[in-house]
Formats: sequence, C-alpha cells, structure tokens
Amino acid sequence: MLLEMKKVIKNFGGVMAVNQVDLTLNEGEILGLIGPNGAGKTTLFNLVSGLLPLTSGEILLNNTSLSNMKPYQITELGLARTFQNIRLFGHLSTKQNIMVAQFCRTKASVWGAFFRNKNYKEEEKKISERADQLLQLMELEKYSDSKAGSLPYGYQRRLEIARALATQPRLLLLDEPAAGMNDVETESLLKLIRRIRDDGVSIFLIEHDMNLVMNLCNRVTVLNFGQKIADGTSQEVQNNPKVTEAYLGKEEDDIA
Amino acid sequence: MFWQQVINGLTAGTTYALVALGYTLVFGVLEIINLAHAEIFMIGAFIGLVLVTETGAPLWLALIGAMIGTGLVGWMLERLALRPLRKNNVSHLAPLISTIGVSIFLTNVVLKIFGPQSNRFPSNIDPRIFDLGVIKVSLLQIVILATSFALMFLMKFMLAKTRIGKELRAVAENPEAAGLMGVNVTFIMVLTVAIASALGGAAGVLVGLQFSAISPTMGVAYGLKGLAIIIVGGMGNVTGAMAGGLLLGAAEVLSIAYIGSSYRDAIAFIMLIAVLLIKPSGIFGELESRKG
Amino acid sequence: MGEILNPYYLQIVSFLAINAILALSFYLPFSAGQLSLGNAGFMSIGAYTAGILSLKLGAPIFISIVSGSVMAALVGILLGFPVLRLKGVYLAIATLGFGEVVRVLFLNLEITNGALGLPGIPNLNNYFRGVYSSFGVKEGLAGLDMGQVAALSTVALSFLVLGFCIMFVLRQEKSPVGRAMAAIKADEVATEVMGINTTYVKMLAFVQGAFLAGLGGALSAHMTNFISPGEFGYHHAIDILLFVVLGGSEVVWGGVLGASIITIMPEALRFVDDFRWIIFGALLVTMMVFRPQGLIDEHVLSWRPFKKKSTLESDAVNEVLHREVGN
Repeated sequence: MLLEMKKVIKNFGGVMAVNQVDLTLNEGEILGLIGPNGAGKTTLFNLVSGLLPLTSGEILLNNTSLSNMKPYQITELGLARTFQNIRLFGHLSTKQNIMVAQFCRTKASVWGAFFRNKNYKEEEKKISERADQLLQLMELEKYSDSKAGSLPYGYQRRLEIARALATQPRLLLLDEPAAGMNDVETESLLKLIRRIRDDGVSIFLIEHDMNLVMNLCNRVTVLNFGQKIADGTSQEVQNNPKVTEAYLGKEEDDIA
Repeated sequence: MFWQQVINGLTAGTTYALVALGYTLVFGVLEIINLAHAEIFMIGAFIGLVLVTETGAPLWLALIGAMIGTGLVGWMLERLALRPLRKNNVSHLAPLISTIGVSIFLTNVVLKIFGPQSNRFPSNIDPRIFDLGVIKVSLLQIVILATSFALMFLMKFMLAKTRIGKELRAVAENPEAAGLMGVNVTFIMVLTVAIASALGGAAGVLVGLQFSAISPTMGVAYGLKGLAIIIVGGMGNVTGAMAGGLLLGAAEVLSIAYIGSSYRDAIAFIMLIAVLLIKPSGIFGELESRKG
Repeated sequence: MGEILNPYYLQIVSFLAINAILALSFYLPFSAGQLSLGNAGFMSIGAYTAGILSLKLGAPIFISIVSGSVMAALVGILLGFPVLRLKGVYLAIATLGFGEVVRVLFLNLEITNGALGLPGIPNLNNYFRGVYSSFGVKEGLAGLDMGQVAALSTVALSFLVLGFCIMFVLRQEKSPVGRAMAAIKADEVATEVMGINTTYVKMLAFVQGAFLAGLGGALSAHMTNFISPGEFGYHHAIDILLFVVLGGSEVVWGGVLGASIITIMPEALRFVDDFRWIIFGALLVTMMVFRPQGLIDEHVLSWRPFKKKSTLESDAVNEVLHREVGN
C-alpha cells in the first residue's frame, strides 16, 4: 500500500467536508476519485498534501504518517499534486517552473551560487537537463522560454503536471487534469498519464470526465457529501445504483 | 489619578480613533492603505487655522470648513491618483506608491505656503475646568470628546441604518456582486475616500485645538500610529478602529504616568507587534479574504 | 577637473553607492514577495553598532562595519520569526513599526547617546589618508590633493562593496534559491507544495535584506561621522522604497538606478529648489498610472523599452478561473 487513509474526518466548524473516509492506493495503480460537485474530493487532496490539517484520522504515505507534516515535507517524501485551478508561476518561464520544482531534489547553496564552483555548475546542469527531459515528455519544448502565464490553456495544464513530476514523486495527485479539454486533448492526456504510470509513478486522479476515468483507472472510489459511498473497479462502480443516484438524484425527484 | 489619566487618554484617543477610522474605511472599501491620509489630516488642521485666523470664523464653522476641504482633497485623490490605477489591473503596490506620491506632494505644498515652523492654533474656547471630584475635565477636553464621539456615532449610524451605508458595506464585502445588484461602485468608492478624508480633517482641527499648535509634519506620527491602530483593531473593521484608537490613547497616557514619557511613541508599535503575534487579524477582526 | 572632484561632490557619489545598497536591501525580500519596510531600522542597527564599536571601543573600521552588518542580520532573524507569517500590507506595517521601535529605543538608550547622537565616528576618508601616509604619500597624488585622493578612495570602496552586493544578488537570482524566491512571490502555497520550505527561503531573503541594510548603515556612519536616531525613521524607509519603485521594482538594476536618480536629484534640481519635492510627488503618481513597474523592467534591459506590459498572464489566469469547476 502506497497511500492509506484511515477514518479521515475534516470538519469545518460544523460542516463535515470529509466524513470517516477509508481509502487505499496501491503501488502502480491509477485510482480514480469521483463524486458530484461539493463531495469533498479536492478537500481530500488538500488533506493528503498537507494544505489542510486533519480533524481526526490518519493518512499514511508508504507507512509514514503525514499528520503534523508541512506540505513541503510531504512532497519530499514523494507526493506531488496539481491544482484544479492551475497555480503556475505565471511570470516565470515554462522551463523555470519545472526547474523550481526540482529544489527539494537538489543541493541548493547560497554561497555556491555566488562563487559558481564546480559542484554548483554541475547541479545547475543536471537541473537544466532534467527540465529539458520533462519538457520533451510533455511536448512543451517550443514554450520553454515563454512565460508560463502566456501559454495556451491546454499547455498550461501540461506544465502543471510537468512541474509536479519534477519533484520526482512516487505518487501523483491530479486534480481534474482534463477540465476544459476537448476529446483530442483528453485522449492525449490519457496516453500521457499511462506513460507516467508506466514510468513508475502511481496516480490518484480526481476527474469529472467519466470516459477518462473508466478507461484509465484500475479502481475508483466514489464520494458524496464527504462520505465514501462506493469503491471498486470501474465496472463495479459504474453498475452501482448508489453511484448513479448520487449523481442524478433519486428517480422520483426528476418528475417536473 | 488613574481616572484622570484615563480621561486624558480618551481625549487623545478619540483623535487617534478618527484618524484610524479614515484608514480603515478606505482599506475596507478600496483595499488600499492610503498613505496620504496623514497629510490630509494635517491639511484639515491648516484649513481650520486659515478659516479661524483669516475669516474669523467660529470654531464649529472652521471644523465644518476643514471637513469639507479635506473631503474635496480626498475626492481629488481618488479621482486622480487611485481611479486611473484601477483600470490598469495593477498589483497592490502601485496604489500604495501613488498615495505616497500624493503625501509627498501635499506635505511640500503646505511647506511651501506656510513654512516648516509650528503655527499657533488659536482657540477661543473658555479655559474653564470642571472639577468632578475624582477627575477634572476642561471645556476643551469636553469639546474634543463630544465632537469626536458625535462624528463616530454619525459614522456608525450611517453605516448601519442608511442606504448609502449599506451600499458601502456591500462594496467592502464584494464589489463585483454589489455592482451587479445596482450599486454605483465608483461613486461609493469616491464617497468613501471623501468621508474618510473629512474625518481625518476633523481630527486635524481637534488636534490643533488640543495642542494649540500645528505644523506641516504633524501628520507623520499620527499616520504611523493610525496604521498600527487599524491592525490592532482589525483591518477594515470600524469598531476596531474606534476601540483601537481609544485603547492607544489610554495606553500612551498610562505609560507616561507609570513608565516615563520617552517611550510613549513606541507604545503603538509594541501593541502592534503583540497583536500580530497573538491574533494577527486584530482584536475585532476576522481573517477573511475578500471574495470576487 | 579638480573643481568637480571636490570632497563634497565625491561624498554625494559615495552616498549614491550606499543608497544603491539600501535599495538592494529592499529589493531582495521584495523579490521573494515580502514588502519589508524595516530597512531603516536595520540600517540604524548597523550604523549604531559599527559607530559604537569604532568610536567607543576603538575597533578597526572594517571590523566595525562587518559587525554592524552581522548585528542587523541577527536582529533580522529574531524579527523574522514572528513577522514572516504575515502577508502583504500587514508585513509592511509590522516592519515599519519595527523601525519605529528601534528609533525610540535608540533615543532612550545611554549607549547610543539618545537624541544627541554619536558625533566623531572615525571617518573613512581619514582612514585612507592614514593608509596613504604609511606608504609615504602625503602631499597628493596624480595632481589631486590628499583630500580628493582620500575621498576618491572612499568612493572606490563604496562602489566595490556595491559591486559585490549586486553580483551576489544577480547570481542568486539565477540560482535555485533565487528561483524559489521568485516562485514564492508568484504563489507561496504552490511553492510550498512543490517541495520548498518557504519559511526558510523567506527568512533567507529577509535576513539578507537586513544584512544589506545594516551594511549600508555601517558604511554611511563612517562617512558622515555623526548619526542620530531621527535619520533612520519613517521617511528613510519610504525613501528606500522609492528607490526601487521608481527605478524598477522587477529587476536588480532598477533599485540602483532609482537610488542614483533620487540621490542626485536634490543636487541637480537645486535650481527649482522649492518645487522639487512637489514635482517629485506628482511625478510618482504619474509613474504609477503609466508605468507602474518603474523605469527599468526586463524589456528595457533587453533593448525593447516600450513593449507594452504583458497582460497575457492575467488573461490566461482569468480564463482558467472561469473554467473552474466547483467541488
């Protein structure tokens, strides 16, 4: 088990955003997280990545408890994430965005920068080369020196992912990576995510695009009103009446 | 002795409160710290001085005149130094710098006209003192306290009960939504700066009365303390500004009485740092980021 | 030639260098997203520490200067812990408040001599005279008298120090630490999620800024021979802010240019004496309306000075925000 969530609760002054959620993610898996708007999916991501403190429960990454850890420490442990509403470093270049994210995997030294000694130059070279690799992987090379904020939408989403990958994670949290994409772009994304998984990164995915979820994910967990209502393979979840109900509401209520 | 100090402190505190109120109103509605507010306060004092000495106007008229004058200065500030920046979607730093520019401009205009020295502010208030046993209050103190509290009460009333006040609060919370609901956001913003400036101008006259002297640089100390107060009270919080001002007045006077006068000017910032360490949102504030 | 190179003008040139160092002391934390207005306070600490060491303990000038800078940095660390949790305007006001506390404190301490200030701090010019003297040069050099030679040496020293500081900041900007700072400025939360200990990096920027301000203070104390608490107040903090904002807040050279302009301006504009500050105030407002990034930005540095400031970023982000699907 790479990621384990035990009875996780997040209470916002009376509003139960996440209510007793148990969840596991195994190494090499692509786990989908779905549910209607407001179900608590992004809140869950925020809890896992350390942006929000748990009200109670436990989250373990590779058997290490993440409670009391700051976000950067969790990232150092091997967890990376993208943001639903894209939080790129707008006026840094595409390549710089990726380079920044390598900070925790390199030896950064203040005096090294001043004296430009051999170690420093070698580190910088490694950082630059690794960034180039990621640029290639995500087909962003032509935007390498453009300001991240000026990229077309689809490429910004890719950069979000590239940047997260630069932290060399074992587990990648993707928050609605296909939002706003057309079919062609989504197909591209699907291939990309598979490739990332094949390269050894497990994936935890929030998505609304059901096609993508069903095609991509080994297993799917469904949330509604902060609670887990279903869990299983994409097939199982698709056929689960509770899931349909959650999305569509009970049949009787549809009578106008 | 203690209560005497408290009265003295409140007198000073009410003027602090008026200044702080000006900062907090502008911050609440426009999300900007108007660093020219201290100079507007100073200009109020000078307008008051001119009205009293040149036209022989009675004090109450000079006060109103100063408030109208500074209200106009505030209107011009918004129109010329703040509104053009809103159109350009700039960072928060640009409006701040713009108000610094206005503050430099205003200070030096007054310096040019009146010179750097202290000017006597004449007071034709009867120097009567009322002996109430435990405390002695002078007529001057009563005038200052009464005027300040009246202005503060008017503000609270306006904000709570009038339509303009409601619109102001709506813009403070969410300008976009307020605009969609029919509020003339631009007008409200101009009005806010004008009102805030008028309050500052009133404070200027009252301070001039209090110390019988004014100078072109009198705004600096009040300005800095005003900034400290709005953080202590809670940024954008009207009650906080008023309470904070009174609190500071009392704290300063008590510190002079019991510690010694030389550290008086640091009290505001010690309170500031204490609040920032304990409850950064301020005594009355909530840490809420603005929507929209 | 000899008339221009008189000690008075040369001292102004030295101050230009000092002001440029102070501009850097504001620029550094700013490039990591922190609006720190405490540099006047740190400058004061640097000046007084160095001044007291030189004057009352007879320490060698350079030891005093270094100690002053280090002292400012140490106070920066202490202040940083509580204050760096604050954002935006809160941080600005808190650091401004810090400056005031330092001013009032120094007005009341015995060791700083209170409002009377510290006169008679050993002067760098005299120091250089002494150095030259020990090499047998007492009457002048290359057609200049000793006064001019000494003053020129001080100028050279200040620019040497400035040069190192600029080089340090430039090199740091291109390094991982510099990139981390820029990322924090852009989006602190996202930076933390990318695995960067933002508290540490912010502290680094803040303390470096404090050190530079202390350095500026310590150096200038040994040029003016006299310091008093009032010199390092609110006005000075605002001046330093203006160096950077006027010259260009997005690039290192901006502060240097701004410092140069504002240092020279009072001298150059003596003919409009009374009106120069009035004009300056109006100019500042105009700048913010038409060119908020200051005189120099990256386009100027790459020879395209009038390229319109890109609104592409805000457009792109706005577009994304409108696609946001609620959760």
